Amino acid sequence: MKRKIGLVVGVALVLVWCLLPVAWILALSFKSQAAVSNGSDPGFLPLDSFAGWSNYADVWADEQFRRAILNSIGISLISTLLSVIIATLAAYAIARLEFRGKKAVLSVALAIAMFPVVSLVSPLFDLWRTIGLYDTWPGLILPYMSFTLPLAIWTLTAFFREIPWEMEQAAQVDGATSWQAFRKVIVPLAAPGVFTAAILTFFFAWNDFVFGITLTSTEAARPIPAALSFFVGPDPFQRPASLLAAAAVIATIPIVLIVLVFQRKIVAGLTSGAVKG
Amino acid sequence: MGRTTRTSSTRWRLGRWRTGVAALALATAGGLLAGCSSDGKPTLTWYLNPDGQDTLNAIAQRCSTDDYDIQTRLLPTSATDQRVQLARRLAAEDDTTDLMNLDVAFVSEFANAGWLLQLPDDTISDDTLSGIASTVQWDDGVYAAPLWANTQVLWYRKSLAEQAGLDMSQPVTWKQVIDAADSVDGATVGVQGNKYEAYVVWINALIEGAGGQILSDPEAGKDAEVDLDTEAGKDAAAVIAQLAGSSAAQSDLSVSNEGTALAAMYGGPGEFMVNWTFVYKNYEPSDANDYSKDQFDDLGWARYPQTVAGEASKPPVGGIDVGVGAYTQYPEYAQEAAACITSVENQVQLAVDAGLMPATSSGYDAQELTDAYPADLLDLYRRSIEDAGPRPQSPFWATVSSAIQATWHSPADVDPDTTPEKSQDYVTQVLEGKALL
Amino acid sequence: MSATTTASTAGTRAPRAETERARNENRLGRRLVAPAVIVMLLVTAFPILRALWLSFYSYSLTAPDDREFIGLSNYVTALTDSLFWRDIGVTVVYMLVTVAFELVIGFAFALVMHRVVFARGLIRTSILIPYGIITVVSGFAWQFAFTYQNGFVNSWLPFVPTDFNWFGDTLPAMIAIMVSEIWKTTPFMSLLLLAGLAQVSDDMVEAAKVDGATWWQRMYKVILPNMRAAIMVAVLFRALDAYRIFDNIFVMTAGAEGTESISFLTYRQSIEQFQLGMGSALAVLLFLSVLLVAFVIVKLFRVDLAQARGEG
Repeated sequence: MKRKIGLVVGVALVLVWCLLPVAWILALSFKSQAAVSNGSDPGFLPLDSFAGWSNYADVWADEQFRRAILNSIGISLISTLLSVIIATLAAYAIARLEFRGKKAVLSVALAIAMFPVVSLVSPLFDLWRTIGLYDTWPGLILPYMSFTLPLAIWTLTAFFREIPWEMEQAAQVDGATSWQAFRKVIVPLAAPGVFTAAILTFFFAWNDFVFGITLTSTEAARPIPAALSFFVGPDPFQRPASLLAAAAVIATIPIVLIVLVFQRKIVAGLTSGAVKG
Repeated sequence: MGRTTRTSSTRWRLGRWRTGVAALALATAGGLLAGCSSDGKPTLTWYLNPDGQDTLNAIAQRCSTDDYDIQTRLLPTSATDQRVQLARRLAAEDDTTDLMNLDVAFVSEFANAGWLLQLPDDTISDDTLSGIASTVQWDDGVYAAPLWANTQVLWYRKSLAEQAGLDMSQPVTWKQVIDAADSVDGATVGVQGNKYEAYVVWINALIEGAGGQILSDPEAGKDAEVDLDTEAGKDAAAVIAQLAGSSAAQSDLSVSNEGTALAAMYGGPGEFMVNWTFVYKNYEPSDANDYSKDQFDDLGWARYPQTVAGEASKPPVGGIDVGVGAYTQYPEYAQEAAACITSVENQVQLAVDAGLMPATSSGYDAQELTDAYPADLLDLYRRSIEDAGPRPQSPFWATVSSAIQATWHSPADVDPDTTPEKSQDYVTQVLEGKALL
Repeated sequence: MSATTTASTAGTRAPRAETERARNENRLGRRLVAPAVIVMLLVTAFPILRALWLSFYSYSLTAPDDREFIGLSNYVTALTDSLFWRDIGVTVVYMLVTVAFELVIGFAFALVMHRVVFARGLIRTSILIPYGIITVVSGFAWQFAFTYQNGFVNSWLPFVPTDFNWFGDTLPAMIAIMVSEIWKTTPFMSLLLLAGLAQVSDDMVEAAKVDGATWWQRMYKVILPNMRAAIMVAVLFRALDAYRIFDNIFVMTAGAEGTESISFLTYRQSIEQFQLGMGSALAVLLFLSVLLVAFVIVKLFRVDLAQARGEG
């Protein structure tokens, strides 16, 4: 019984820890802008200063923010797609084939996962402006791919090692063509892994800030995190806290949706690196 | 500038293609994108800083002609971020940066880097207020057109000054102001003490007010003489130290800016605050705020405080100049647009709607302006800009400013005996490339 | 590795066919990994080499034509500068403190998740939200929470005056930054530790229990030693991540009050100050210091790199 109570308390603590700041930003997003700039309603909840959906409406009316959402979605999806395709090829080779240089590939991936992103900012900016990739979608997609590949390769390799590849041969023996065997047997087994890698990759791209602020300069390619940090409210001298909170909530909705639907897969993917495949 | 046409036409096509894709994508999201209009009419892009953006958008509409449209794009809030964004576009030789609002402090840097198109000499005239005219000149040429000129005055609650027994009809010193606020429980002095450009604006005004200068020959660029370790520097540091150590300092002194200081005016007994001209419109009762007529009547203004008693103060000058990007595809149109944007009528409009004061004498004389503002306030503004102590016109001002911020921030750590000397050494070393910034 | 086993048994019978096959497999393997390797190196190896080259120059964005070869001067300036060492020190503090807290809290969370039989989906969802949330958003949320005008932190904490300015001094500002960092990354840590916990066999724990071991003894003698590899991998990754801290600093203090990390210093030199030469030198030094930190952790804790590489 004592243990049970301890556990319930533990669960409650975990939930408070994880959700309190989220609740805070949500509460802030419903406070009126005037109350926030005067500091007249300093409590946690928007009691005297409830502003309804007006902050959300204002944020949504901001064209730069809508562009940023579009940029983030587009850039993140494209880099996720490309990264996962390339990583699938590599992970298949690492998990199933013997070839020279396998260790080297894994070491490169490990090195890149540890790479200090900021040290690339200056040379990449210089390079991008020379070849015309500065402030464009591809200019962000390329670095996102490089930095998500290690994670994607690890996750996929771990998943692929668990696939009983003999089943493919067994299916072929049973008369299936090799394409059929691949499609009917291997694809369903590999799909969850690929999917998990895609989600983790998407999270990385969605979260990136350093490349976002250094390799863009307008809404042509500026992603959400950078747009948030430059967000300008009606009062040019103060960070519009409640507007920013509303913008932050909007930027978090896709994450929450993905988490709600795919929580199991994400946990499996995150832990696959630590658990031996 | 002598860029080859071939490069720019390839760039242009690429730019068009990109805009096309973006427009297509955006149409799905239900937004609007002003790119190249369907009839092939060129579009000039004008980068705005956030002050007065509604009025500036209207001006962009008005200055669009049959030959070209002007679309606006918003820059980040802080002057430093604005500079970084623009500089990186221009370093990338971006041909869509046609017009840009530049903080007065950064014109020389951009002009020196070759990022601004030289404008006709008659861009400025005798009508242009001298404090702002000097900010667009570099190397015997004119590189930007003054749009609006800003200055700081001392704003205060009349009831507070009365309670503290401070006579505001005479010029006041910083010491008097701080002592006065100190003597009333809960009263404060509002300044800009965050680690950013406006903090250096304050430091510069204090030093100028004591008869000093941060750089004595700013045109020398990296070899400029740094004059921080002087009597004037010590006087300036003494004022900051006095405020930081007194109960008149606001709790957020080290992160305070032009906006954070506003709230204290009508909270508690009120405050004395040095701040820009927008403050008047900020407190004037309107739909955008909930200040009452009584509160507004209690608002007073006076000339920027003196650093040294008896020596006239040198108020800060700020504002925005409009520059034409060196790599624009439409240099003639962009110059024409810059002239239209900065016309006296538009300057008056900005002043009336957004509280951003004109850069010209005739702007100050306009009927709309004298209707919208008290005569003594207009007079105070104009005199302040005339007697202003501008920041040094150095192409390395950003570097100098950051180095000063690094040594003078936080205000609580400023010590008249050590800070000026330390910052003198540091700024010199940084300019020589011998110290990190 | 079923493929290899099959191949080698076949090999003893038909050596010629086997070499042919091995060669094909070798070629195919290399072709399949080639795109990944190229993309990874394209955006890292080339720029870092270019940074190395630029670091020998005095090179400013505003005056590209005045570029001048100055040998090792940038390195000498940086390495003899107190700001550089101060920022290194600040960065190491961020790293040590955040990883220590994350490890302890993360382990507690992992224990809870390991034991709990109810509300698993809810816990999993909650714990993934900080993991998935944008760091910049976390920075804003905590910055607003810590400001005294609008935040709730001052009124909730005992012994803290309601107008205490967290961003007015180095230590409190660093605490605010670290709180945001710890909040956001503890879930990741706890999930890695949960995976490690799942690998500890229940039989062993039960056996220890039967032998009369207390909870602490079971923890120290059985559970922790068996989780060692998982803990070390988690520490290595989080430590390197924390060493590169940037987003939270940018959003919360912009480096004011001496809260600047080495990444932020590098960013400022090259992006804000336009000093591409010095910025490149700092980039190289940052790169080397990350290698050094990784090396120290690997040596100090004898982390099994093969496992980190996912070679299993």
